[in-house]
Amino acid sequence: MRIAAGVDVGSTQTKAVLLQENGGFKIIARALTQTGANVQKAAENAFEECCRAAGIPTSDVGFVVGTGYGRYKITFGNAQMTEISCHARGAQFLCPGTRTVIDMGGQDSKAISVGPSGEVLDFMMNDKCAAGTGRFLANAADVMGLSLDEIGPISLQCKRPVKMATVCTVFVESDILSYLSQGKKAEDILGGVHLAIAKRTVSLARRVAVEPLITMTGGVANNIGMVRALEEVLGQKLQISPDAHYMGAVGAAIFAMEKLGQSFESGIWRDAYATSGGH
Amino acid sequence: MAEQSKTEYRGGIHQRQKELMLDWYGALDRSAEGDGPPTVSMMVSGNCVELLEGFGAVPIYPEVNALQLAIRHQSLEPILAAEDIGYASDNCAYVKADIGCYLKGITPTGGKMPKPTLVLCNFVGCNTYVKWFEHVAEITGSPLYMLDVPFLRTDAPSQADIAYVVRQLHEVVALMEKLTGRKFDFARFQEAVNYSRQVEELWSEIKHMSKHTPAPFDAYFDAITLMGPLYVHRASREGLDFFEIARDELRAKMQANEGVYDQEKFRLVVEGPPPYPYFRTFRDMFAKWKACAVASTYSTVGGLWEFGFRHDPEHPFESVAMHMLANNVTNRNYLQRYDQIRRYVQEWNADGVVIHFVKSCRLFSAGQGDMRDYFTKQLGIPTLYIESDLEDPRYFAEAQTKNRIDAFFETLEHAKATGKQLAHV
Repeated sequence: MRIAAGVDVGSTQTKAVLLQENGGFKIIARALTQTGANVQKAAENAFEECCRAAGIPTSDVGFVVGTGYGRYKITFGNAQMTEISCHARGAQFLCPGTRTVIDMGGQDSKAISVGPSGEVLDFMMNDKCAAGTGRFLANAADVMGLSLDEIGPISLQCKRPVKMATVCTVFVESDILSYLSQGKKAEDILGGVHLAIAKRTVSLARRVAVEPLITMTGGVANNIGMVRALEEVLGQKLQISPDAHYMGAVGAAIFAMEKLGQSFESGIWRDAYATSGGH
Repeated sequence: MAEQSKTEYRGGIHQRQKELMLDWYGALDRSAEGDGPPTVSMMVSGNCVELLEGFGAVPIYPEVNALQLAIRHQSLEPILAAEDIGYASDNCAYVKADIGCYLKGITPTGGKMPKPTLVLCNFVGCNTYVKWFEHVAEITGSPLYMLDVPFLRTDAPSQADIAYVVRQLHEVVALMEKLTGRKFDFARFQEAVNYSRQVEELWSEIKHMSKHTPAPFDAYFDAITLMGPLYVHRASREGLDFFEIARDELRAKMQANEGVYDQEKFRLVVEGPPPYPYFRTFRDMFAKWKACAVASTYSTVGGLWEFGFRHDPEHPFESVAMHMLANNVTNRNYLQRYDQIRRYVQEWNADGVVIHFVKSCRLFSAGQGDMRDYFTKQLGIPTLYIESDLEDPRYFAEAQTKNRIDAFFETLEHAKATGKQLAHV
């Protein structure tokens, strides 16, 4: 039985996944750590924690693919792929039939048009601005004195969402303070926050092609308020895997497993590995 | 990084290019000391350098100064100098770099910037230039002539458009005679137009060489080496000599099947100028994938010659007007730019298009989102959209840019390996 790993070093959190081949691919362990300042250490910690959870030595892992912004800092990794390719592949694996991926992470959001084998057909990412990302929601939560886990459920109680004047991650604070001073309800403010981000994200997604099935990935997929807001703006249901947060690492692990020669498409990525590896 | 050392062609033309550009800066320096030729501050896009030859005058190109500063990592200081006197962070970074140069009185080579004999706003394609050149005139105290070149609204300019520009060119001649005390030398002007015609023929021949697989040079990154002499020396014997050398060198490479990389993997068409403050970093992001630009719109900012237009010594004023009106990318309308890129993709056999959106150049970049949609959705051509700035180093995010570029090539690689069609048709 072969074991492969995917390690996704994101701007905020680092995720690792172990995949085992046994007639099919099966996720056998996951780990999540804060990325912090030492990217290399974060990747090592997540990978080692994952192996501990699976009860195997790290040497049992046949191939490791790194992804995310810190992918080139994963010194123990064998190859690197961008998280765009990894989210697409992971989403097609965990949510078969996916044609569109909306990924909302800590500091970026992206829309990916996906082919039947999980290949990327087209993609768009947010510009150099954290509006529409997890960081925006984290700032909103901070100002409201709430935790990130609380804001989604509260936003679902919204009756009359406020209009956000800005989607700027910095200026959102003064916008929210202004609404609080006007006596607006927390749920209506948070409803407005989620709706503003949803509109921005859907606008990004429409630059590719929004075709069902649509799968949401990334840490923000854990926010039920964001999921509902996106569904409202899209007019369509989203598929959310319980492993949505780990999707980049899952995709990376699939590529790693293919590299071990287990996949129906093995060999296709050989050139990519040769080109991108080791930089 | 032995692999990356192969990504840059270094031939005799690079040495000669350096000499020619230093000659030019030397002339500007002498003019600043009161011992050089008359100088005319004008823009690269659709420039009328031939007319200047009739006075033995030398152009001052703010864009060439700006890119030279940026590529030497010296652009932020003049930009900040301009912002200190009130320019906003969103203003065109070329404007700020140029204004900063005048404020500090420097050129990128450390020489002096002369007071222009004339500030000639050849208003082609960019309305920011109107205010830019007004400011240059204000700061330097030089006289300003606003040469109004109408945008190309239809496929070709009307007779009235041509006559309108020609009339203004004659006014420029009269003004220059007054300012320099020199009589306009028509024969020299005609000779200059003839040099341009020959240089354009050579340049066009070079541009078509990148149809060859592998392309003998990168028509985006390497083309920039040739663009300085093309704009400054096009209308001179030195320019003609330079482009004969360039044609011969590149033709020899083509005939020897010598490409930019040991194995060319991707062929691209690039739209938009490069991020000059990170030129090397940006180029390496493509070199890593052995991706070669076979055509670019940026290399047609100063003139679009690969589709047949040439200056005509028999009709010098009219052909200069035609060049300014219809044969440089920035004065052409958007549908013509779409078509130019489409032709590049099809005739130069490219795998995809890269659009580099320039944050501080709204006019050049406006509409590039629609352009991307056109290529991906209507033509099914994989198109990468990235953004930073051509001059201001503060707009470049290396990790994000690299991420997009890597993802684009991963996608192209997969499509090539599986023979699948990319992007939505």
